[in-house]
Amino acid sequence: MSFTTPRRSRALTATLLALVLSTGTACAGDESGPSASGSIKIGLLASLSGTYQAVGKDIRDGFELYLATHDGKLGGRQVDLVVADEGNGAQTAVPAATKLLKQDRVVALTGIVGGGSVAGVYPLLNETKVPLVGSNGRPELKDVSRVWHTSYLSDEPGAAIAQHVRDNVKGSVYAIGPDYQGGWDELRGFTDAFAKIDGKLANPDGKTTFTPFPATTNFTPYFARIKASGAQAVYTFYAGSAAVDFVKQYAQSEIKDIPLYAAGFLTEGGVLNAQGEAARDIFSVLNYSPDLDNAENRAFVAAWKAKHDGSPTTYALASYDAAAVLDRAIAAAGSDPTPEAINTAIGQLGQIASPRGTWQFSTTTHSPVQKWYLRQVRQDGRALSNTVVGDLATIGR
Amino acid sequence: MIAVAAGANRIDPYIIPALDGVAYGLLVFVAAAGLVFCFGVANILNLAHGTLYAIGGYTAAALLDGGWLSLALALAVGVLAAAAAGVLLAGLLTPVATGNHLTQALLTFGVALAGGSLLVAGFGPDDPQVRVPAALDGSVVVAGHRYAAYRLVFIVVAAVIATALYLTVRRTRAGMLVRAAVDDPEMVACMGVSPGRIRAGVLAAAGALAGAAGVLGAPIIGPGADTADTVLLLSLVVVVLGGLGSMAGTLLAALAIGEIQTLGVALLPSAAPFLLFAAMAAVLAARARGLATSWRAT
Repeated sequence: MSFTTPRRSRALTATLLALVLSTGTACAGDESGPSASGSIKIGLLASLSGTYQAVGKDIRDGFELYLATHDGKLGGRQVDLVVADEGNGAQTAVPAATKLLKQDRVVALTGIVGGGSVAGVYPLLNETKVPLVGSNGRPELKDVSRVWHTSYLSDEPGAAIAQHVRDNVKGSVYAIGPDYQGGWDELRGFTDAFAKIDGKLANPDGKTTFTPFPATTNFTPYFARIKASGAQAVYTFYAGSAAVDFVKQYAQSEIKDIPLYAAGFLTEGGVLNAQGEAARDIFSVLNYSPDLDNAENRAFVAAWKAKHDGSPTTYALASYDAAAVLDRAIAAAGSDPTPEAINTAIGQLGQIASPRGTWQFSTTTHSPVQKWYLRQVRQDGRALSNTVVGDLATIGR
Repeated sequence: MIAVAAGANRIDPYIIPALDGVAYGLLVFVAAAGLVFCFGVANILNLAHGTLYAIGGYTAAALLDGGWLSLALALAVGVLAAAAAGVLLAGLLTPVATGNHLTQALLTFGVALAGGSLLVAGFGPDDPQVRVPAALDGSVVVAGHRYAAYRLVFIVVAAVIATALYLTVRRTRAGMLVRAAVDDPEMVACMGVSPGRIRAGVLAAAGALAGAAGVLGAPIIGPGADTADTVLLLSLVVVVLGGLGSMAGTLLAALAIGEIQTLGVALLPSAAPFLLFAAMAAVLAARARGLATSWRAT
């Protein structure tokens, strides 16, 4: 050997350290412009780099689509949209939000992909008294007086589909999901509601199986356990590349004939393209589907397809709706739309017409009271797409 | 649980995970062999190794269309592209003194970050779809269980690659030079073989191996934004478990990782988050030099 062992191990330690330190580095892009008279400054924070960039870009594009189809105005005022990069989490989101809130002095903040980022930015909102109209992640928060979400609470998809699964599956259901806060919430939503209506889980210990996240890339060992459990259906939640791995391996596994039910993110957006044929027939629950039949949705989908490949996702929709909320709130805030006035106006919006169908903010959680849809992955022209096959519960509290 | 408890069926649920562990382990072997090769032979710590694999993976996603011809084409292009990237790395590493691992690590890690961003910029942030030849895109019945046909074939192909690699290192002149370079680099230099050429050759070979693993392994560890990190981490674990000296050690370590990640998880699901690293710690505690001894003992 041409080198000594201690030197080797030292180098390896250093490289492993470098590896650990480097995950979660991203830089914030900023492009603020001077505020024209009569214009209004809105800050959009979303993951434009890192693990969640596909979602982040949908959120940016959804908001920009609303502006583009409304002459660049919200509430009759020209909008100066300041976009900043959230990166992988709070570590990068907080400095970016600080810049938006304190340097650019935006009147409202929107976007934010990760629940952890929202929790990190939350103290800044209280300090600067600027409202957040979030369009995705929603952590547990004590006081939501300045926080609004156009998306959903993480336990709602599971709660919305539980009754349907109970009615349509003759036998026990295996619950499996990723081992992190989002996974716990999504699966708890299902298992709690399912238990209430006397549904039986097939998991050996009666509890959800959680897989290490994001380390799990091979689900075969879990499929073997599902097979052994005698389950008649599987309920799951995965997103991003874990969703691709799960669905592709499921379709080739020995449990491929067991019906798969999931929170809609399993087959939403780009992951569906990567899954391809493997995703066919999967049932999922979500608050939106691009084939919903209403005037708002037809206009939204047409405008989206004119600019982008493929159909809009629920992420883009939530951000589009965040713009719609701000549009009406700024108009209602009067001649001087201060952050405080906009926040008050959001609370008085009532019903909001949207491509997902009409919804409104819950007075207690400030997240939508909305209808959830049952979708199935089916052939739509040349591509596979999530097709609405029925309405599920209207949920919100 | 009822089926598991029923005596004769006790092993039954674990047949597929055990088989899958072999497929996964062989993929890890082909993917990690290049890194071990570089580190053990040329004394280069190449942290961009995962990126070389990702190049192969993205090539597969871009070229595969469900036919056999496209698989051959993707394999050729992926191997060449990753080998070329390896030569490029060798060029970048020329000014760095051999054995200066920290500088090598920083340089190659920088290349890995830049390369990863370039791949994402070029191919988009979403995981691309990988279309294997239609004949392999289903499942077959093994011992009464369904198993992915592609993975079954992959086991055979990866075993062929491993054998070819072994024969190349043992029997060919290039392999002998490489082994000589481990034993006595000064003497090899005296024979008129430039260390720079060996470095470029080794990195090109490592790149080719990683590229081949990336193309063939794309349906198992698919291309995506975090593929490079996953493969690098698994490869580093192979280095720690298998040591640097022998191919047998590398193969043993890779298969162990495969089985721990599948059979281990099936047996002890609650320990899944730390099973791999617990095994690594246990091996290090018992045998500080890895699972097998030196290259010469092979």
